[in-house]
Amino acid sequence: MMPTAGVIDLSVWQVGLAAVLVGVVIVISARQALGLERDLVVGTVRTIVQLYLVGLILASVFTAGRWYWVALVLIVMTLVATQAAVSRLKKPIPGRYEIAATAIVVSTAMTLGWVIAVVVRVHPWYEPQYVIPIAGMILGNAMTSAALAGDRLQSDLRARTNEIEAMLALGFPGSEAVQPMVRSAVRAAMIPTGSGMMTVGLVQLPGMMTGQILAGASPLVAIEYQIVVVFMLAVATSVASLLFVRLAVRRYLTPAHQLRRYLL
Amino acid sequence: MPLNSTTPEERLVAIVDDDTGSSICRPDPMVSIPRHGVAVAAVGDPVFQVEQLSLAYPARGREPAVEILSDVSFAVGRGASLTLVGPSGSGKSTLLRCLNRLEEPTGGRVRFHDRDTTSLDPLELRRRAALVLQTPVLFEGTVRDNLRMQPRTSTTDLSEARLVHALAEVGLDPGFLDRDGATLSGGEKQRVTISRALLGDPQALLLDEPTASLDPPNAAILVDTISGLRQSRGLTIVAITHQPELIRRLGGCLLYLVKGRAETYECIDDLAPTITDGCLRAFLAGERFRATP
Repeated sequence: MMPTAGVIDLSVWQVGLAAVLVGVVIVISARQALGLERDLVVGTVRTIVQLYLVGLILASVFTAGRWYWVALVLIVMTLVATQAAVSRLKKPIPGRYEIAATAIVVSTAMTLGWVIAVVVRVHPWYEPQYVIPIAGMILGNAMTSAALAGDRLQSDLRARTNEIEAMLALGFPGSEAVQPMVRSAVRAAMIPTGSGMMTVGLVQLPGMMTGQILAGASPLVAIEYQIVVVFMLAVATSVASLLFVRLAVRRYLTPAHQLRRYLL
Repeated sequence: MPLNSTTPEERLVAIVDDDTGSSICRPDPMVSIPRHGVAVAAVGDPVFQVEQLSLAYPARGREPAVEILSDVSFAVGRGASLTLVGPSGSGKSTLLRCLNRLEEPTGGRVRFHDRDTTSLDPLELRRRAALVLQTPVLFEGTVRDNLRMQPRTSTTDLSEARLVHALAEVGLDPGFLDRDGATLSGGEKQRVTISRALLGDPQALLLDEPTASLDPPNAAILVDTISGLRQSRGLTIVAITHQPELIRRLGGCLLYLVKGRAETYECIDDLAPTITDGCLRAFLAGERFRATP
């Protein structure tokens, strides 16, 4: 253990000791025939490899301090988030990549822009120490909410086809016929954010706040950042899920107000 | 006559495959089975004219394109009725939904009152050709709420008196207006959905197996309701049903679909009260239908 600048710098061996805990779970899984061993091993290896790689890349980007490296990192993060959001859909939606990318990029860009330029006022604007972690949080949450919304939209459209067709048959426009499903998909995607806002700080200390406190920051500074983060994520998840659902639902309807049932 | 004693050509037309395996019917030697897509007898003052209609769902990923309807033609006159029959998966529902443009054909065309349906506002078309689904859909709320569930652009009179009259037309008393839709029986729900469709004063009623999910007594009431509406309103009716009583009471013509193709078209009336086509007769479970005078 070697304290440096308020943070206890962990050695490789210390990280290895944390992995012992996972080893215990693997043994329990094997004994109880839970069948989780493979996933746990792969997950452990991926966690170590991915995070070390990211650490190395971020260290280089932080040192270089160039806007184009920051932009490249953001683009790669966005591509991965888009792919992850799309992969959770049970059935492919035509144009799903454009839809997910639009929802994630728009929600992230507007939230990140506001926080960086107006709230935190970072100089220069591409300061990687701020931009990359904040963008990462926004992208991750936007991705999850878009995926949740898409999944719920698909299952609702499938389960409530009769209801939609009954409204279309009465002469309602397609947009009105699917409105209940749009509402329920966006609400479902917002549940984690909403319940998180209700219990923030009471049940668990949020990740960013924990990180800052571990890094030696005053808890009062840490909560100010955390409040900004909570507001920022509430906006990002709402915009991402709403955009995703609005864009996706159009693919299920034709200009003649018909439901493309074969897509369900 | 054993099947193996017929000629190969006769055997070819004698076998009608369905989704569950195959059913065998023997054509009446005096009746020829029409060619696929044959245009049926011209009708005066047609409400629907369907010309060489085809519909296929596009290929997606590894799934190949699926042909649902192929080269179907028929016409239905004002105040007349047409019953669509055929095994499940034969395209009956899809064909019915093409009439009010809930489905888009990939070939051929549908005319409504001599106008191509693609040139009409689809929302207006659906109010004029009202579709009643097999499973009645009532939205949350009372029967009154459900009857008032009409598009904002609709100019339908939704006064209390009109709602009471609409319910009376389907044999329900005004007390139903305050009932929660969820508490109604299947037959009552179906009658409310018909009543809701009628509020838009349609010229045609499209019925997708309206009695399929009902028990015999409720099915009988609904048959009475539909039959009465046809007479009182002079509605043109296109129905999918295998309910012998509804087929008999509607009269008119029958179109027998197999694998998306029109196999047989036959009309029953006072002059020809019996279904003569062997396949159609066999399909309708050997029932011998006689139109009531």
